[in-house]
Amino acid sequence: MKKASHYREETRAFWTMVLPGFIVYIVVMAFPIILSAVLSVSNYSGGKMFGGESWGFQGFQAYTSLFTDPWFWNALKNNMYIVLISVFGQLPLGFILAYFIYAKLVKAPDFWQGILYLPNIISVIVVGLLWQTIFSPHGPIAEVMNTMTRTRFQSQLRELFASSGGYAPTKEIATRILQMVGAEGRALFSNPVEELTELLASYNGQPLQEVLDGLTNLFAPRWSPTFLSQNNVAMLPVLFVILWMYTGMYLVLFLANMQKIDSQIIEAARIDGATEGQVMRHIILPSLSGTIVNSAILAISGSLSSFSLVFSMTGGGPSRVTEILAIYMYNKAFLGRPNFPLANAISLVMVLISFVLILLTKMAERRFGGTEE
Amino acid sequence: MTQKKRDREKKSKVKKPMSFLSRFLAYLIMIVFAFMTIYPIAWLIMNSFKSTREFQINQLGLPKVFTFSNYVEAWKMGDFALLFPNSLIYTIGATVGIIFLSLLAGFAFGKLHSRATGPMYGSFMIGILLTTQTLMIPLFLEVNLFGIYNTRFAVLLVYIGAGLPIGIYLATEYIRSIPTALVESARIDGAAFFTIFRKIIVPMSKPVSTTIAILNISNIWNEFAIINILVSKTELKSLPLGIYKFSGSLSTDYGKQFAALTIGMVPMLVFYIIFRKQITKGVAAGAVKG
Repeated sequence: MKKASHYREETRAFWTMVLPGFIVYIVVMAFPIILSAVLSVSNYSGGKMFGGESWGFQGFQAYTSLFTDPWFWNALKNNMYIVLISVFGQLPLGFILAYFIYAKLVKAPDFWQGILYLPNIISVIVVGLLWQTIFSPHGPIAEVMNTMTRTRFQSQLRELFASSGGYAPTKEIATRILQMVGAEGRALFSNPVEELTELLASYNGQPLQEVLDGLTNLFAPRWSPTFLSQNNVAMLPVLFVILWMYTGMYLVLFLANMQKIDSQIIEAARIDGATEGQVMRHIILPSLSGTIVNSAILAISGSLSSFSLVFSMTGGGPSRVTEILAIYMYNKAFLGRPNFPLANAISLVMVLISFVLILLTKMAERRFGGTEE
Repeated sequence: MTQKKRDREKKSKVKKPMSFLSRFLAYLIMIVFAFMTIYPIAWLIMNSFKSTREFQINQLGLPKVFTFSNYVEAWKMGDFALLFPNSLIYTIGATVGIIFLSLLAGFAFGKLHSRATGPMYGSFMIGILLTTQTLMIPLFLEVNLFGIYNTRFAVLLVYIGAGLPIGIYLATEYIRSIPTALVESARIDGAAFFTIFRKIIVPMSKPVSTTIAILNISNIWNEFAIINILVSKTELKSLPLGIYKFSGSLSTDYGKQFAALTIGMVPMLVFYIIFRKQITKGVAAGAVKG
C-alpha cells in the first residue's frame, strides 16, 4: 500500500517536472513542423488563420513549383558549399591548429586559443556587416589594391617622363601616355591626343609630383570587387567568413578532447620508438574518431543556420546568387506577395534534411562510438 | 611529459633542424590566423573613431582626430538606450528559464523512475540538431495564430524552447552522475521530490548550470534571425536588430556604422574576457555529443 502511493508520488513528480519543459519544446519545435506540413499543401495566403479568409487543401503544387525553381537548387547548392567548407575547411584546420597547441609546438596555449575562438562570440550581424565593408570597393582590401596599382602606375609614368626628358606638353608624350593606359584611358576623351596635350600644358611649371598625382587620379584603374558578383565566385567571401568565424570552435573542441587522451599511452609509444606520424595515426586519430564524427554532424547541422550571416553580409545578392535555403524561404514569405505554402514547403524540406542528419549521427555513433568515453 | 624530456627524445631520433622547422611553421600559421582574427576587429574599432570623411581618405592608419560623436549619434539613431535593456531581459530571462526547466527535467530523467523516461528524453534529443531558423516561417505564423506577435513573451518562449534540448541533455547527464544514495536517503527521511530538487539537486548542479548559461548567453545576446520575425516594434527589439539598421541606407555613413558595430561587439567582448576559461570549457562540453 505504502509502496503504491510512493510510486504514484514519484510518477506525479516526474510529470510535473518534465511537462513544463516539454510543452515549451512542443510549442517551439514540434507544432511549427506540423503547421508547416499542413500549410505547405494548403492555399493559405496570409491573414487570420481561423475566422479570416477561408483556406483549404490544395495539393502538392508548392512542392512541384519548389523543385522546378532553379533558384531553389541554387540555394541548395550554396548550402552544400557551406557544408563542404565546414567539413573540409573548419574541421581539418581546427584539428591542425589544436594539434599545434596540444603538441606544444607553440607556447602560450591559452593565448592562441583565446584569440582564435574570439570570432565565435561576436554577433553574426556585426561580423556580416564588418566583412561586407571589408570586401566592398570602399574597404581596406580595395584600399591596399588601389595603393598598389597607383604606385605602379606612378613609377611607370616617372620612367616615361625620365626617358623623354620631362613632361613637356608634346603630342609625342601624350601618345606614349595613352599607349600606356590602353583603351580604357583613351575612352575618357573624345579626342585623346589633343586633349591630353592640353591637360599636360595646364600643369606647366608645377612640380613633377603634382603632375604624377593628377595623371594617376585620372588614369590608374580603381580596384573594385566586381569579380565577387559572378555566379561561381560570389559565395567565396561568405565561405571565407564562415571559415573565419567557426574554425576556432573546432579548435576548442579538438583540443579539449586531445587533452583527455591518456598522455602515458603516447609517452610509452614514443619510448618504443613511434614517430610523430605513427602516434597521430594510431593513438590520436582513433581516440578522436567520435569527436570528429560529432563535429562533422555539428558542422553540417550548423550550416543550415547561417541565415543571419548571409542576410547581413550579402542579403542573398548580388542578384540572388548567394541565396541560401533560409534566405530563399524568408524572401518567399516576406518579400513581395507572401507565398506561404511555398515558404512552408521549404521549411519542411529543411527539417527533413535535419532529420536525415540525425539518422546519420545515430548511424555514425553506432559505428564510431565506443572509442570514446 | 615535460617539454625538455620530449625535446631530448626528439633529438635522438629526429634531426634537430626538422623540429625547428615544424615549430617555425606552427608559429607562422598561428600568427597568420591570429592576425586574420585580430586585424578586422582592430580595424573596425580604430575606424569607429574616425569621421566618415576621414575614413574615406585614411582607411588604414590610426585616426588623426579621435571623433566620439559617431558613438553619440549611433547610440541615438539605433535606439540603443531602448534595445540594451531588452537584450538584457531576453538574455537573462531565457537563460534562467532554460536552466530551471533543464534541471527540473534533468532530475526527472536522471533520478526518478518512469517508463516514459526513454521516449520523452529521446524526443528532446531530436531537437539538438533542429535549428529554429529552419522553422522561421511556421514560427512566425504560429505566434500570429496565438496572438503573441510583438510580445516579449513570444521571444522568451522561443528562446527557451530552442535552448532546452542541449540544456536537458547536459543536465540529465550531470544529474545522473550525482550519487543516487543522496536522493534515496533524503527520501527515507521523508523529503518530497521538490524539496530534494531544491535542497540537493539545484545546489549540486552549479557546474552544469554554468555550462548551460555559458552556452546560451552569447547565443541569445547575438541572436538575430528569430527575433527579426517575432517583433517589429522598436520597444521590443534587441541589440542585433538595432545594429542591422545600419546596413541599408546608413551603410555608407561609415563612422556611425562602425560605432554601432563596436557597440554591438563590446558587451560580448567583455563577457568573453572575463569568462574565457569557462566559455571554452562549456563549448567543449556542450558540443561533443550530437
